[in-house]
Amino acid sequence: MRLSFASVNFGAVKSAATLLMLGLALQGCVAGQADSGYFGKTDPPRGQTMRYISGPEPQSLDPQIGTGLVEARIYMALYEGLVIYDPKTMGPYPGIADKWDINSDFTQFTFHLRPTARFSDGNPITSEDFVWSLRRGLNPKLAAEYAYIAYPILNAEGYNSGGSFVRNKATGQFELDPATHARRFVPADAKPEPGKEYVLIRPEDVGAEALDPLTVRYTLTQSAPYFLGMMAHQFFMVVPRKAIEKYGNSDWIHPKNIVTSGPFHLTEAVPYDRIVAVRDPMYWDAANVRLQEIRFYPAEDTTTMMNLYKAGAVDALENHCVPLPWNDFIRPLKDYMDAPEEGNFYVQINTTRPPMNDIRVRKAFSLSIDREVLAKFRRVAKPLNVFIPGGIYPGYPTVKGDSFDPKRAKELLAEAGFRDAAGNFDPAKFPIEKVEYTYNNADPWRQVAELLQSQWKQNLGITVPIKNMETRTFFTSRNKLEYQGLSRSGWFGDYMDPYTFLSLFQTPTGNNGTGWWEKSYSDKLDDANRTRDPMERFRKMAEAEQQLLDSGAVIPIWVTSTDWVKKPYVKGMYPNPGSIFAWKFVYIEHDRTKWNDPEPAAKP
Amino acid sequence: MERSRAGSETLMLKFIVRRLLTTFPLVLIVVSLTWGLIRLAPGNFYTSEKRLPPAIEQNLRVKYGLDKPWYVQYGRMIANTARGDFGTSLKYEGQSVNMILWRAFPVSAIVGLMAYTLSLLVGITSGLFAAVRHNSKWDYTSMTFSMVGISVPTFVLGPIFVLLFSLTLYWFPPARWDGFATRSAVLPVLTLSVIYMAYIARLTRSGMLEVLRSDYIRTARAKGLSETAVVLRHAFRGGIIPVVSLTGPALAGLITGTVVVERIFVLPGLGTYFLNANLNRDEPLILGIVAFISITILICNLIVDIVYAVIDPRIRY
Repeated sequence: MRLSFASVNFGAVKSAATLLMLGLALQGCVAGQADSGYFGKTDPPRGQTMRYISGPEPQSLDPQIGTGLVEARIYMALYEGLVIYDPKTMGPYPGIADKWDINSDFTQFTFHLRPTARFSDGNPITSEDFVWSLRRGLNPKLAAEYAYIAYPILNAEGYNSGGSFVRNKATGQFELDPATHARRFVPADAKPEPGKEYVLIRPEDVGAEALDPLTVRYTLTQSAPYFLGMMAHQFFMVVPRKAIEKYGNSDWIHPKNIVTSGPFHLTEAVPYDRIVAVRDPMYWDAANVRLQEIRFYPAEDTTTMMNLYKAGAVDALENHCVPLPWNDFIRPLKDYMDAPEEGNFYVQINTTRPPMNDIRVRKAFSLSIDREVLAKFRRVAKPLNVFIPGGIYPGYPTVKGDSFDPKRAKELLAEAGFRDAAGNFDPAKFPIEKVEYTYNNADPWRQVAELLQSQWKQNLGITVPIKNMETRTFFTSRNKLEYQGLSRSGWFGDYMDPYTFLSLFQTPTGNNGTGWWEKSYSDKLDDANRTRDPMERFRKMAEAEQQLLDSGAVIPIWVTSTDWVKKPYVKGMYPNPGSIFAWKFVYIEHDRTKWNDPEPAAKP
Repeated sequence: MERSRAGSETLMLKFIVRRLLTTFPLVLIVVSLTWGLIRLAPGNFYTSEKRLPPAIEQNLRVKYGLDKPWYVQYGRMIANTARGDFGTSLKYEGQSVNMILWRAFPVSAIVGLMAYTLSLLVGITSGLFAAVRHNSKWDYTSMTFSMVGISVPTFVLGPIFVLLFSLTLYWFPPARWDGFATRSAVLPVLTLSVIYMAYIARLTRSGMLEVLRSDYIRTARAKGLSETAVVLRHAFRGGIIPVVSLTGPALAGLITGTVVVERIFVLPGLGTYFLNANLNRDEPLILGIVAFISITILICNLIVDIVYAVIDPRIRY
C-alpha cells in the first residue's frame, strides 16, 4: 500500500490538492483578510522570535558544503564572510571586512577586517582564518560542490583538482599559461611529458595571503570585477579552524560542537523539523541585532506552507511559496513580496544537429513564441526576450531580442528550405521527427511545455513532440547534449553580476549545453572584465549578450520573480533578487501603528 | 490432548525460526535489486540544474568511493548491509543512515500505531454493530461512511481536515510535529486512520455476517446462550480473521511512514526521508530505508501468522 502511494505522481497530487484547497479556502480567506488587507492571523509572536519556512531540508550546516539558496538563507544567520549580501540589492555590503581596496586591473582584492570580529566561542576572527577557510574549501578531499566559485583565485582550480604545475627540467622554470600568464597546471591523471616534471600544487599556492592579522589579500588569475560581489557567497564565509580540526569535517556541525561566525549561533538542529539560532553576544555587531531567535522550519509543499502562514504558525515563507491557483488571491494582499529575481527561464537549442544547426530555424522558433501568453499563465513571471533579467543590474543596457513575429518566422523557415513549389513555408516539409522539446517532469514545466507546443502549432503549424523526464535523468541527458532540438533550461545567478549569466556560454563545455560557442564572444567578455569603468564594462557585456541572442542558441522566455509572503509585523526583510536576507536587520514590530510604515532603510 | 498441544507448540517455534532465517537472505535480495535499479537510473546525487566541473565531480566520486569498479562497490554495500551499517547519507553530509532511521522511525511508528489503534476501535465497533443489526439504519449509515472513507484519498482528506479544524475552527495546528501527546498529532492520525477505519468496518461486517450464519453459531444459540455471549465469545474470534489478515501489511505500511500524510503535515518521519532520498538519488539512505521496511513487513506478517493460530483453532502450523 505504501509503495503505491510513493509512486503516485506528486505533481498531479499536488495540483489536485491545491485546486481543491483553493476552492474550499476562498471563503475562509476572505474572512481572514477583509479588515486588514493581510492573509490570515496577524498576531505577532512573543518577543523577538522569527519563524521562517526555509524550504527543503538543508543539505548541511557547513557553509562550504551546502550549495543551495535554502542553505544560504540559514548560513546568513550563522556565518559571515568578508562581505555579506546587501539586504535590498544583494550587492556587496560590509561584513567582517569594513573596507577593501581593489587594484587597477581587478586582479588583487585586499580586505581590512574589523578588529572586533569574533567566533561564537570568543576567539578573534583573523585574516589567517579566512586563508585557512579558503584552503579547506578547496581541498579535494572535502569535495565541496561549489568550490568552483573560487576558481577565479590564482591556482585555486589547480589545487582543487589535485593538479600539478609543470616545470621544465632543463631550465627549472615553471611553464605559464599563454592567456593568463599564471602557472600552467595539469590534472591529477596527466601522463608524464618528456623533459618536464610535475610539481603538485599545495594549499599555500592558492592566491590568498594574510598580510597581517587584520588584512587578507586575494590574487586572481585574471581580471574579475565581479569578485567582490561573489565574496558574499556562502563558500567564502569564515569557518572555525579549531572546531573543524577537533571534530572533523562532518561532526563539527553538530549543535554541541559547532562554532559559528555570524550574528546568531546554533542551539538546535533537528533534521526535517527545525533549526534554531539565537542571537550571539560575541558577534561584532551584536548591539544592532534585534531578533533574539530565528526558527527555521523545513517544508516542501507550498499549500502546507500557506496553511501554516495563514494560521499564524510562521511569520514568513521562502520564495516561490504561493501556489499558482492562489496567486490571484494573494497578490493584492499586503503580505505579498514581489520583485524581479536573478533568474531566468529559457529554451536551449542543440545547435549541433540538423535542422537546428541552421540559425534561421532557431530564430523562427524564437520569433513564433508569444511570451506574453506564457508569462500570463505563470502569473509571477515577466516576459523576457533578452538573456539578462532586467531591473536588477542598474545601468545595464537593454539589448535587442526577438519579438513575436510569426510572419517573419515562416519566411525564415521557407528560406531555410522548408517550402512548397510557390516558395511559401510548408510545415509538412519540416523534419519534425528530428526535433522535440525535452523537460523535467515538475510543475510548472509540464504546463509550460504544452503551452510552447501550442504556440509553435498555432504560429508555425508544426507539432513539436514534447518529452518529459525525471529531473535528474533530464539534467544528465541535457548536459551530454543528448536532447534533440529543444530543451528547457534556466539559470539562477551565483552572484550579483550579469557575468554569472553570460559566462555560461564562455566555454563550449560546462553549463553551455547548446553546442554553440564563438571565440569572439568569449573575448568580448574577457575584455569587458578588464574594463575599469562599470558602465563601459556593462556596455561591452551587452555586446556579448547581443551576439548570444543573435546566434539563436537560446530562446529566453521569462524572468522569475520572488513570490513570497511575510506578516505585517516582520520588518527589515526586503524582496531582494535572491530572497537571501541579512537577518541582523530583521525584527518583529509589536507596535501595530507602525505596521504600514515604509520599510526602514538598511543601516550603512 | 497434552501431547498434541506440546507438539503444536514445537511446530510453531520451528515455523517462527524458519521464517526468521529466511528474512535475512530476502532482505539482501531486496537490497541488491534496489541497488541495481538505482544504478540503472541516469544521474547522480550531485546532478542538478548547474553542472559541476569534471574535477569536482571526480573529487565527489573519490570521496564516496564511486570511482571503484561496480563489483567492489556492490561487495562493500552487501558487506555493510549484512553488518547492519548503511553508511552515511550522500545528500545530508555527516548524517549516518542508522541515525536517520533511529530518529525518523519513532515518529512514523507513533503516528501509524495511533492511527491503526483508532481504526481498530472505530472500525471493529461499527462493523460489529452493522453485522449484528444487519440491514438496519445503523448498518446503512456506517457502511455509507465507510464507502466514503475508502473512496476519499488521503491527499484530499488531509487538506479538508486542515481547512476545517486548523484554518476555520483553529483547533489544531495545520502542520508540523510537536510530539505524540500534542494537538499536532490529531490531524495526521485522523487523516491516516479514516481509510483503515472504513476498511476494517467493512471487513468486520462481512466476516461477522459469514460467521453468524455458520453452524457452530446456530449450535451456540440452540444451547440457549445470550446473544451477547454468542456474538462476543463465539462469533467474534472467527469474524475478525479478515481484519487480522489486513493488519500485517497495513501496520507495516503505517509504521514505516506514509509519504502523503507526512508531506502534507511536515512530519519528520520515514516517509518524508524515503521520498526525498529517492528524489535525491541518496543511495545509502534509500537502501537503508528499503531494508528497514522489508524487515518490518516480514516481521509484521510473521506476527499476523502467529495471531491467526492463537485466535482461530482451525489454523495450526
